[in-house]
Amino acid sequence: MIKDKTAFEPFSLEPIRLLSPEGEWIAPFELDLDEATLKGFYRDMVTARMLDEKFVILIRTGKTSFIAPHAGHEAAHVGIAHAMQRGHDWLFPYYRDMGLMVAMGVPMVEIFGQMLGNAADPAKGRQMPSHPGSKKLNIFTVCSAIASHIPPAAGAAISMKLRRSNQVAVCTFGDGATSEGDWHAGINFAAVQNAPAVFVCENNRYAISVDYAHQTSAHTIADKAHAYGIPGYRVDGLDVLASYYVMHHVIERSRSGAGAALVELEVYRYGPHSSADDDTRYRPKSEVDAARKRDPLVRFRKFLEQRGLWDSAAENKLRTQIAHDLEAALQEAEAAGEAPAEWMFDDVLSRRPWHLEEQRKLVLDELR
Amino acid sequence: MATMTLIQAINKALDEEMARDDQVVVFGEDVGKRGGVFLATEGLQQKYGPERVIDTPLSEAAIIGAAVGMAAHGMRPVAEIQFADYVFPGFDQLVSQAAKLRYRSGGQFTAPMVVRMPTGGGVKGGHHHSQSPEAHFAHTGGLKVVVVSTPYDSKGLLKSAVRDDDPVVFMEPKRLYRALKEEVPEDDYLIPIGKAAIRREGGDITLISYGSSMVETLKAAEEMAAAGIQAEVIDLRSVLPWDKETVLNSVARTGRVLMISEAPRMASVASEVTATISEELFDQLLAPPVRVSGFDTPYPYAQDKLYMPTVTRILNAAKRVLDY
Repeated sequence: MIKDKTAFEPFSLEPIRLLSPEGEWIAPFELDLDEATLKGFYRDMVTARMLDEKFVILIRTGKTSFIAPHAGHEAAHVGIAHAMQRGHDWLFPYYRDMGLMVAMGVPMVEIFGQMLGNAADPAKGRQMPSHPGSKKLNIFTVCSAIASHIPPAAGAAISMKLRRSNQVAVCTFGDGATSEGDWHAGINFAAVQNAPAVFVCENNRYAISVDYAHQTSAHTIADKAHAYGIPGYRVDGLDVLASYYVMHHVIERSRSGAGAALVELEVYRYGPHSSADDDTRYRPKSEVDAARKRDPLVRFRKFLEQRGLWDSAAENKLRTQIAHDLEAALQEAEAAGEAPAEWMFDDVLSRRPWHLEEQRKLVLDELR
Repeated sequence: MATMTLIQAINKALDEEMARDDQVVVFGEDVGKRGGVFLATEGLQQKYGPERVIDTPLSEAAIIGAAVGMAAHGMRPVAEIQFADYVFPGFDQLVSQAAKLRYRSGGQFTAPMVVRMPTGGGVKGGHHHSQSPEAHFAHTGGLKVVVVSTPYDSKGLLKSAVRDDDPVVFMEPKRLYRALKEEVPEDDYLIPIGKAAIRREGGDITLISYGSSMVETLKAAEEMAAAGIQAEVIDLRSVLPWDKETVLNSVARTGRVLMISEAPRMASVASEVTATISEELFDQLLAPPVRVSGFDTPYPYAQDKLYMPTVTRILNAAKRVLDY
């Protein structure tokens, strides 16, 4: 149920923030999350950050070919995931959402399998790394073509409405995606249909090298919601509690039949766009350093510490455990071995027609 | 048995499939109250309501993309693109999403959906209402592509497409919508996707075609028969996958082949079929396979009839093959 005290007004002038930079609770309502939940948020954020660091090792050691750093997005990711009914609602993510996968509960071995593109990948090594998905958890497999997943998210939401499934489709993307035709087409259709769709921009202010001012003249991404007749919420996406509470409010609003919404979570990407990108060419180091001072993990840790829920011993213990779990999952994924050659011809269609049979035989003969 | 036009057969197929399965939904621009610009969906919204026959915003990307999401969520969407020429704003959704979903997810997610579209020329529509873009789709792994040529086939193939577990591009030659009538059974029947039809049997030359060019191809075959030449005529019906077995069996017997299609020649379905014949039957051929096609220009308004393969052009090409 939505509680009146946590109802948020759309189109606020300032981003919605519930934690001060010093980690103080500054919301106009009482915090109603228990200790275990708060610690769980922090555990997921640290896991996401350490996974990002692990990915850097994977690329440097040549074990993977592509990473899309997500450090700086952790508060947004954890807020989105925990606001959803995970495994019931559907998520339509994009390629910088590995922290979101962590918080959604995707098994770490599957995450690493996808990064390695080997037999441990539930998607059978079909896509470049950083393109996860999980049918079991209703996570629509990521597609490289920017914003192309937005009309499908609208369609799934329309289906949810027609089939009265009480689900919500949550769709994430970066600020660059908001310039694509598919973005407008999908949001417009979902809005017209009053479908339970929540569109979430993780605005880190850069689409590879193109900064926000060259992406759009709109003052905020949230403002764009005006054009579709839906509410737009601008949120401090470095604040995990603001991300969670606003997302929870908006998701439950959509579930109750109030239709689509747009949420802008203002984040910052600490790393480059990808392993193929040199971000010193387009943004000053001073800007990155300043953003690091607003680190979402540090802010939330301060919050926990002030409440007596966290200390250095707990931090050390948590990081040791996560490091162990990550390494064990990586080893398990590596042990699965290469994706078999004949997988190339599976899943093109529901059954292999003659031309794919011929091509499959050609490859198998060549390898014999 | 009722006599129907091709558009009536399409309408009947949609009606029957919606009655059979309540997860079948129809949507697109003007398909609801208006019943579609060609009236393919006439009466369906009155019968099944606006939740199952949805007038959409004017956006091919939204229409095709939403179909992907609906299908992945468990419905059986049938989307209408008003003209095949307008598929391109939604092309990304067809090739990046619909075609790749099963593959990119390792079979976890699927998109069993149909995208219907009127195709081809001959209605004085100029180049943005006359194109035959099937080769664009045939070049994309993960799609099935059907091009119909008769009312009977249209009903049976569309019903198969709706029940198919893969995304099917279903192309309807608009100049045939009301040009042909034939008996179409009232009951439920299916025509398998991927199976060609032999429209006429003969042993002297094989004429292969599909879609609207079947009309001129059959006329040419009749004229040839009058001159004592028996042409075997094959209607591919599905261009992806196409029926290699039926084609090769026929060409192996006749040794001569002509492929007719109004789509542009370059990198076309006709190119693919004739190249395959050359590869597989080279030593049995009595003449090189020849294509009669549309031209590699944008479709011209003023030369509407001349762009499409004419009976004369087919007969001249057939003579070249027979005299080789």
